Amino acid sequence: MTEKSEKIKDIIRICILTAAALLFVAPVLIVLMNSFKEKLFITSEPFKLPSADTFAGLRNFTEGLRKTGFISAFGWSLFITVGSVAVIVLFCSMTAWYITRVKSRFTSFLYYAFVFSMIVPFQMVMFTMTKTANALSLDNPLGIILIYLGFGSGLSVFMFCGFIKSIPLEIEEAAMIDGCGPVRTFFSVVFPILKPTAITVAILNAMWIWNDYLLPYLVIGSDYKTVPIAIQYLRGGYGSVDMGAMMAMLVLAIIPIVVFYLSCQKYIIKGVAAGAVKG
Amino acid sequence: MASITLKNINKIYPGGFRAVNNVNLEIKDKEFVVLVGPSGCGKSTTLRMIAGLEDVTQGELYIGDKMVNFTPPKDRDIAMVFQSYALYPDKTVYKNMAFGLERHKVPKDEIKRRVDEAAKILGIEHLLDRKPKALSGGQRQRVALGRAIVRDPKVFLLDEPLSNLDAKLRTAMRTEIAKLHKRLDTTFVYVTHDQTEAMTMGDRIVVMKDGVVQQADTPHELYINPCNMFVAGFIGSPQMNFVDAVMKRKEGSYYLETQNGTVKLPDSRVNENVSAYEGKKIKIGVRPEDVSDEPGKENVLTGTVEVSEQLGSEVYLYISSPDGRITARVSPDTTAKTGSIIKYTFNMNKIHLFDPQTQEAVR
Ligand SMILES: Nc1ncnc2c1ncn2[C@@H]1O[C@H](COP(=O)(O)OP(=O)(O)OP(=O)(O)O)[C@@H](O)[C@H]1O
Ligand SMILES: [Mg+2]
Repeated sequence: MTEKSEKIKDIIRICILTAAALLFVAPVLIVLMNSFKEKLFITSEPFKLPSADTFAGLRNFTEGLRKTGFISAFGWSLFITVGSVAVIVLFCSMTAWYITRVKSRFTSFLYYAFVFSMIVPFQMVMFTMTKTANALSLDNPLGIILIYLGFGSGLSVFMFCGFIKSIPLEIEEAAMIDGCGPVRTFFSVVFPILKPTAITVAILNAMWIWNDYLLPYLVIGSDYKTVPIAIQYLRGGYGSVDMGAMMAMLVLAIIPIVVFYLSCQKYIIKGVAAGAVKG
Repeated sequence: MASITLKNINKIYPGGFRAVNNVNLEIKDKEFVVLVGPSGCGKSTTLRMIAGLEDVTQGELYIGDKMVNFTPPKDRDIAMVFQSYALYPDKTVYKNMAFGLERHKVPKDEIKRRVDEAAKILGIEHLLDRKPKALSGGQRQRVALGRAIVRDPKVFLLDEPLSNLDAKLRTAMRTEIAKLHKRLDTTFVYVTHDQTEAMTMGDRIVVMKDGVVQQADTPHELYINPCNMFVAGFIGSPQMNFVDAVMKRKEGSYYLETQNGTVKLPDSRVNENVSAYEGKKIKIGVRPEDVSDEPGKENVLTGTVEVSEQLGSEVYLYISSPDGRITARVSPDTTAKTGSIIKYTFNMNKIHLFDPQTQEAVR
């Protein structure tokens, strides 16, 4: 009896979760579906599968690539995302190590400053920050990496700190006795242990930086278009939008981040379940 | 290979706690020295100062002829085994052992040779590809030892390396480590709070209490000539019996008057230091094996057997007497039973005398 009711509960649970999952994937699937339809049919029958009449082949894609300069935008997006994620992971892990291992008023102040920075909304500092960035000549892809480092460091330092606290100090002492100075200890011993957390941090940051629209729009404008900005430029004057090209470009834009996420997802689970470093 | 010298070493932790108090110690080249003492007495702190993991607050520390107070651990040429093993969790056993050698620029084939050799000695050859997570406590222990022995350092530091093992494995590893010391022929400093481990392994034992060195001597000397009541009580199992007494003089001989009766001090034990206690209180210390349940005519005391513990090769009798509880270690042929009245004597040639105030030995 109980076994049976357990089974029924299981089935109900699976049904609900499947429905929820479908609900989350639906927008992406609709975009994907529409990217293969003629642009006129996208607005008139957005939820229908492409048929012989409406199927556009790869025309939307070629059109979009031509209109948006997608290749160069993709390049800049990639450069900014990879660059930002790399500096965030590198600097935040080192900072977190220092903050956790060197105990002083200064480091605990730093820690709380990083935590506090997480709760400051971007919109609050948006305009002053843009102005400052312009004044400091940070209005270029390299400069924006620095800005992303600033915005990403709050959460990243917080996450790294949490994990480093769980690493026994004796492991680092063993490294020192094995002949490592502080720099070697960090890169040869601590950082490899941090890998799951580093990957989690990398994915979280990569996702929002890749998708970010507002910051690059405000800071670098149209000199170096990133993917979200390039897609936005498909909105021509007077509200005319090439929906077909837009759908196609959106599909291209989400592919890299999905691939990145899927290839790293086993580490995310590890990173979240971390803290079990023993021995 | 090097000696270690501690000169007036003090350690005061931030917050003002004095964990190590004016320690002077000379550890000779190739010596096996054991630091022993109750929990919190500063053994680990002392060892960590030698390793360079803890700053020396005051005093001078030498390895060989070199003052190393300000030398970072990586330049001290030491190896250390931590109580919690401290293996690198993301590296395989092989990498764990090879890591220190790589840092010291040892050629690759030499590293392989040494790791394989150490693995063979410790019986962990089949584990070289595993990560520490996939090892049992005893295996991790041996990897931690292996990581130290491949290094061939000047000084070996071990902080309670056997405390997490079961009794059988601990005994086996004890002999393993002693053998290792012979093979490597290096200076060993070994920390433990287990006096049996200390007695069986050390060339010399340093007994510490509250950050102060009580006595540093060979195991034998420590056992037969403890310098104070703490050392006397700490070394030896079961513990030494302590009995309050007053020293009296009668017809040229000295007698010790306890609550339970009077015993005569052999004339050979009397000297100026001892006779100075005439008419004063003094503590008698008697090891359990020096309490006999087959008394002669002299110095006989009486008590009740509370518990008798059969250990096969010997019997422990816990005797309640007006002097308090007396532990006796007697032959298994004893007729004494739980609850029976028993007559016993102390082997007066082997008793220890202590000042009740200072707790120092009177000899
Ligand atoms: N970082 C620290 N700050 C303040 N006090 C400390 C610190 N580390 C240790 N102590 C204190 O110093 C004393 C000696 O500690 P230590 O670790 O040397 O003891 P131990 O003899 O190794 O004991 P055990 O056998 O339990 O390992 C203890 O009373 C401990 O509380
Ligand atoms: Mg300790």
